[in-house]
Amino acid sequence: MKIFTCIKYVPDTSEAEVKLDSEGTGVDSSRFSFDINDADNYAVEESVLIKEKHDGDVTVVSIGPKNSDVMIRMAMAKGCDRAIRIEDERIAAHDPLMVAKVLAGAIKDQEFDLVFTGCMAEDYGQAATGVALAELLGVSHAAYVKKVEIEDGKVKAHRELEGGLREVVEISLPAVLTIQTGINEPRYAPIRGIRQAQKKELKVMNLDDLGIPEGEVNAEASRIVLEKLYIPVVESKAEIIEGEPEEKAEKLASILVKGGLV
Amino acid sequence: MMRGMKMTTENQTFAEKFDLLGCIQCGRCTGGCPVTVRTNLNVRRFVYDAYDEGLLEELARVTDIWDCTACHTCAVRCPKGLKPLEVLIGLRSLVVESGKTQPTVRDALESTFMEGNPWDKPRATRNDWMEGLDVRIAEPDQKVENLFFVCCTIAYDPRVQVTARNMVRLLKKAGVDYAFLGTDETCCGSEIFTLGEDGLFEMLIEDNTELLNEYRADRIVALSPHCFTTFNTHYPDLNKPVIHYTQLLAELLEQGKLVFEKGLHKKIVYHDPCYLGKQSGVFEEPRRVLQAIEGVELVEFNRNRERSLCCEGGGGKMWVESESKIERLAETRIKDAHALGADIVAAACPFCVLTLDDALKAEGFEEEMQVAEIMEILGELEEMQDNSSSAQEVED
Repeated sequence: MKIFTCIKYVPDTSEAEVKLDSEGTGVDSSRFSFDINDADNYAVEESVLIKEKHDGDVTVVSIGPKNSDVMIRMAMAKGCDRAIRIEDERIAAHDPLMVAKVLAGAIKDQEFDLVFTGCMAEDYGQAATGVALAELLGVSHAAYVKKVEIEDGKVKAHRELEGGLREVVEISLPAVLTIQTGINEPRYAPIRGIRQAQKKELKVMNLDDLGIPEGEVNAEASRIVLEKLYIPVVESKAEIIEGEPEEKAEKLASILVKGGLV
Repeated sequence: MMRGMKMTTENQTFAEKFDLLGCIQCGRCTGGCPVTVRTNLNVRRFVYDAYDEGLLEELARVTDIWDCTACHTCAVRCPKGLKPLEVLIGLRSLVVESGKTQPTVRDALESTFMEGNPWDKPRATRNDWMEGLDVRIAEPDQKVENLFFVCCTIAYDPRVQVTARNMVRLLKKAGVDYAFLGTDETCCGSEIFTLGEDGLFEMLIEDNTELLNEYRADRIVALSPHCFTTFNTHYPDLNKPVIHYTQLLAELLEQGKLVFEKGLHKKIVYHDPCYLGKQSGVFEEPRRVLQAIEGVELVEFNRNRERSLCCEGGGGKMWVESESKIERLAETRIKDAHALGADIVAAACPFCVLTLDDALKAEGFEEEMQVAEIMEILGELEEMQDNSSSAQEVED
């Protein structure tokens, strides 16, 4: 089983105060901590679990700066076998299609059965890279996967849908699966393991190494122009409904109806 | 075998590393262990069973090993000078090395590795507690008498940041030569050690020793007993002594540099933190500080000093919840304080303050009693003083 797992180094914005940079098209990340994208962490674990169960090997692919090597080493300490880190400022990294093209460029000429990505990145939250990657690789995909079963050259992917529904799809390998959080419990990478993972191969490549023409993945190639970012004005309006339960229910229902919410 | 588990560490066997044959099975460790009243932990049993290498994997799976709070009562009472708790930590290490830790433990360890603190906070915000204060930041080439080490919990937890903030005000008032570290300050590893992450703990010791040795300071003053004890116990190559802040305060009182002009007419019971008291023998200094406040009636718990009841905040327990539904030791402590008629339960440790404060709320004593860090009490005195002097100026 040959697996490629795509991971991204993202800022943790869960609790941090988000401020825009001076140009207004980026976020001031100086006070953030960075770590593996949450869903990608589950993708790493899933790929290692499959490797442990079915044999094979896992290659980590990531587009990111040198600082993200620590994240890659952690993935290798957990059981991934080798890694490719693509670093090239010419990539229009805000556009998931451009990102998918670069990832596809790193994977397409190699033998693979499964490609994992997280279902969504915490930074731009577009949930598009994995799906675009499948299209570019010319293989089937399943998105928002909460359970993976491999059987005779096929994968049964349990997808998480809205309203608590699950959809089970059977697709032929090779395939791309975008992994939803909660599919497993990611393991801890002990420091001794991270040190040992220093011996595993981490190849750093750029667009030229991958043979991807700049004009296919740079800002000019992208159809997305990031005009500006802004922080929405915080508005709040609260109305406390008084009265007996029946009266409260009636008032609440009338508010919902008037507001066109039901 | 659990994946990745190692039965021996370095070139020692488990039995050699923890001197298991030194144990005479007297049982004083289990007899004295405070958590036995609410959990099934039997530390003597683990010391006995761990001699059989074939059992280690099984023992490491027993959840009881995560009930230990590393209070060190077992070590204090062991007639053979062993540290039974470290056998439990050794078993925790087997779990950590296998990668199969509880998610809360995993996140605390990863955060310490990536950001230098176990609270999942960015390193860049470590000194946010200083906001609005004019704090002197240490420079490696500038000589300073007291180099302060704040502690991750005090730096990030809004409930206990007051410890550091009030310390800055007090140092200025007393004219003390001091400096705080920048955002380079990194977890001392106290809880990393007790959670069983040996490799990360070794890395922290190495990095912190290098960082702290660079500074031209006469001594390090730790705000938390956990950092204080960890530096003194596990950092053989530190080139300067480490004291706890209560020791500095006691020294300032003796030299007459610290004078509390205002009194506080309260009954205070002092809770000895395990890491300050039974592990490092600092019992009198915190009491001296409290007694120096006019009007304070200092009372004692029945279980005080070496016999102080653990609050269950150490041993990595901030990240591991016990399954037991029996009353927490901190709740027992709060009930004892209530029975003594105390107005304030004073502590000199961030973990004790957090656990005791939670227990106070759980018991519903918020109206009658208060849990306070000693620096919080002193800060209130200072505020009273500032207010009255400005009021006087107005009157004049």
